[in-house]
Amino acid sequence: MPDKIKVIDCKQSDNEYLHKDFHGALCYAIKYLDDNFGEKATEEYLIQVGKTYFKPLSEKLKREGLEALRSHWKNIFKKEQGEFNIYCENDKLICEVKQCPAIAHLKKTGSFFTDRYCQTTVIVNKTICNDAGYQFTCEYKSGEGKCVQKVWIENFEQATRCRKV
Amino acid sequence: MISCTEFIPAYSELFKFLDEKGGKEAVFRFWEILSDNFLGNLRELAEKKGLAGCFEYWSRSLTEEAADFKMSLDEDTGLFEIDMRYCPSMGRLLEEKHIKPYEYYCEHCDTLYRRVLEPLGFNYEIDLSNCKDAKCKLRIKKMKEDYEVQKI
Repeated sequence: MPDKIKVIDCKQSDNEYLHKDFHGALCYAIKYLDDNFGEKATEEYLIQVGKTYFKPLSEKLKREGLEALRSHWKNIFKKEQGEFNIYCENDKLICEVKQCPAIAHLKKTGSFFTDRYCQTTVIVNKTICNDAGYQFTCEYKSGEGKCVQKVWIENFEQATRCRKV
Repeated sequence: MISCTEFIPAYSELFKFLDEKGGKEAVFRFWEILSDNFLGNLRELAEKKGLAGCFEYWSRSLTEEAADFKMSLDEDTGLFEIDMRYCPSMGRLLEEKHIKPYEYYCEHCDTLYRRVLEPLGFNYEIDLSNCKDAKCKLRIKKMKEDYEVQKI
């Protein structure tokens, strides 16, 4: 083939799906919503994402308990190479994010970042959990790339599922 | 965190949300802003390296997105093409049976990339006739040199 002709031919299975630049696009989405429709609209959007795309996860959490969420979080943080610790304590599922892989990528690449980005975690996860009957909190400082997320249920029978985690 | 592996459904839901709030104009305006601010790397590569820059940009993004595609660059004829056999973006949305893709989802690729490349003097064509099957074709050509004379 002449030097001036280049071809790449790829199947899906040739590569692992992981395009971290998408985190930057989500930052622009949050900013666009905030600037044009207000923070309340941004919250509505994130609730919509939680209720639509993440509905199966919410249903799994309701059906199977905290293991469903633990498994999901472990899977995504591993794929994205985040630093994290997930464990159960006093019937609560706790996820300590020591380095958020999304924020780490944005900082490393010098990409646009909004302090409001963490709302994607706060609101989407709160929606997933609340829809399954669980409580959710997230303690963080914007832009630090660390947080502590806690999930629990105010119901003894369902709380026993946590002990199996 | 919405993982980058979960971004595409969130993206489609965003377009639906914007359309409900502000009509297709609001969606289109978002695409323009994203094109102007988020595709700096494509702009820079295309400016510096021309069609080879386009090849370099899409080599990375399409492999990271695990697309099924064939991409070719012929620098002698000034032609760059992508035959997207299975788009990882629309393909993902089609696989998620519990949600419906935004009706005009695939048009974002037309707006985003055209807006970067045409001002740089490229001719941009995209065939979205089969996009509902997660297939499309893209052709980018170097404009003829007399285009620059006409611009002046």
